[in-house]
Amino acid sequence: MKFGKYLKDNLFNIISFFTIYIFIILLFIAFEIDFSLIVSITFLLFTYFIINLLYSYFRKKYFYNNLIFNTEKLDKSYLVLETLNKPNFYEGELLWDILYNINKSMNENVKNYELQVTEFKEYIELWIHEVKIPISSLVLMIHNHKDDLNRRLIEQTKRIEDYVEQVLFYVRSENSEKDYLITENKLSKLINNVAIKNKDYLLESKIDFIVENVDYTVLTDSKWLEFILNQIINNSIKYKKNNNSYIKLFAYEEKNKITLVIEDNGIGIPSADISRVFDKSFTGHNGRIKTKSTGMGLFIAKNLCNKLGHKIFIESKVSEYTKVYIEFSKNEYYSVLK
Amino acid sequence: MKNIMIIEDDEIICNELTNILENSGYKVSVLTNFKDSLEEIKKVSPDLILLDINIPYINGELLLQNLRKTSTIPVIMVTSRNSESDEVLSMSYGADDYITKPYNPTILLLRINAIFKRINGYIDNLTYKNLNIDIGKGTVTNGNDEVLLTKNEMLIFSYLVNHHNQMVTRDELMTLLWNNSEFINDNALTVNISRLRTKLKELGYDNAIETRKGYGYILL
Repeated sequence: MKFGKYLKDNLFNIISFFTIYIFIILLFIAFEIDFSLIVSITFLLFTYFIINLLYSYFRKKYFYNNLIFNTEKLDKSYLVLETLNKPNFYEGELLWDILYNINKSMNENVKNYELQVTEFKEYIELWIHEVKIPISSLVLMIHNHKDDLNRRLIEQTKRIEDYVEQVLFYVRSENSEKDYLITENKLSKLINNVAIKNKDYLLESKIDFIVENVDYTVLTDSKWLEFILNQIINNSIKYKKNNNSYIKLFAYEEKNKITLVIEDNGIGIPSADISRVFDKSFTGHNGRIKTKSTGMGLFIAKNLCNKLGHKIFIESKVSEYTKVYIEFSKNEYYSVLK
Repeated sequence: MKNIMIIEDDEIICNELTNILENSGYKVSVLTNFKDSLEEIKKVSPDLILLDINIPYINGELLLQNLRKTSTIPVIMVTSRNSESDEVLSMSYGADDYITKPYNPTILLLRINAIFKRINGYIDNLTYKNLNIDIGKGTVTNGNDEVLLTKNEMLIFSYLVNHHNQMVTRDELMTLLWNNSEFINDNALTVNISRLRTKLKELGYDNAIETRKGYGYILL
């Protein structure tokens, strides 16, 4: 609240005061009243007027400035009312009451949406568990009726499973705070699980899967990390070159972090696209060549990494390589606790 | 013959799973009366239980907790729930392993096998006809003749010996190797098999491993 603007706002008051004052002085002069009395009355009137102006200014200033300052400073500005006392002047009270009511109705509205989202999320999770039952049946049936179709059927079933899984992890990454559990996990074991899941796909695509030097223990949620690795490896398979393809996984340790690298010699990512590969629904140049790209895989992977506190980034050179780095920080506190 | 009990309410999965387990030489019992599941388990007293979490009347985790009060029968949780907390919870209730649906059936069989091995203590020695196989040392001996097998060859050979006279598909061998962190390709598997054949020939077992075109191999 600025004093200049406040004065401008009170312009009518000030003008009417001066007008009345001039009339009074004119009257005094007309009645030939003693000059020293005029001075005294002038002094009194002005003192009264200025004090009055300043008092109401400072009373409002305190409330409004707090309101403005706190609104700007809070990262959830809708909580500003909680930081203020109810003001002791009429306009302020009115404003405070209105803000309070608006806030309340907004909260109810938000709550309503929250409930809907939670219910939807619960339904999706349930649905995914349901749909996995027929998928499991299919896998077992294929296994029981071996013939040439086998691998192709398993591959298609795996694709269904992957897409279903993607929905599950999207829902988890967007809406929940406590769906994950960070424990100590052997990197080699997680890579093993993902490798076996993709075994048929990799063999069918004639991609060599090379794993070197991954005997590290990292702090992560195994299921989430497996999903992330699965997304990255699926991309490597999808965007492979025609022959001598490989996917290589290796890790190294630095002072306070362990880095896992997933490297392939696929078609690579154009430099114009690389900064946007983690954006939602971004398909880019490669996504347009190879159809059936939703642009969700890496977006979800990044989201999950953020929640788990891992850093993920990509380096690539077109038609040479793509390297995905995942950094796990080492937690001294955790190892001391143990 | 080891008896495995399936506790699973989806009929199709039950049937297919029964088929797979029976083909691998296990006796299978299926729990039908979910109301008194604990009594039923005690009556059958299986060697191992495959337990689904979402079953009627009682939650699989709860059943496991109740079972653990009186019994140490190995239990593998088989479930479509795939969050870390579900797994940690199940393991803390005393599950021996945790597999999420859908799973590769060969992996399930390998896990079952691993549990039985753990219970009976590791048997490092296998025999095939006159051959003595020392898995720990990686050697196969016939009297005074000894050959050294690589890790891959040993994995393949011991698997074939355990499935003596049964058809073993290339996919099974592949799954076995990948499960042991040997991510080899199709060519490498063929090479490993032919090396293994050469080594067996040195010990006097020519043509012990036969190729069945389009299916896989059989150790005669």
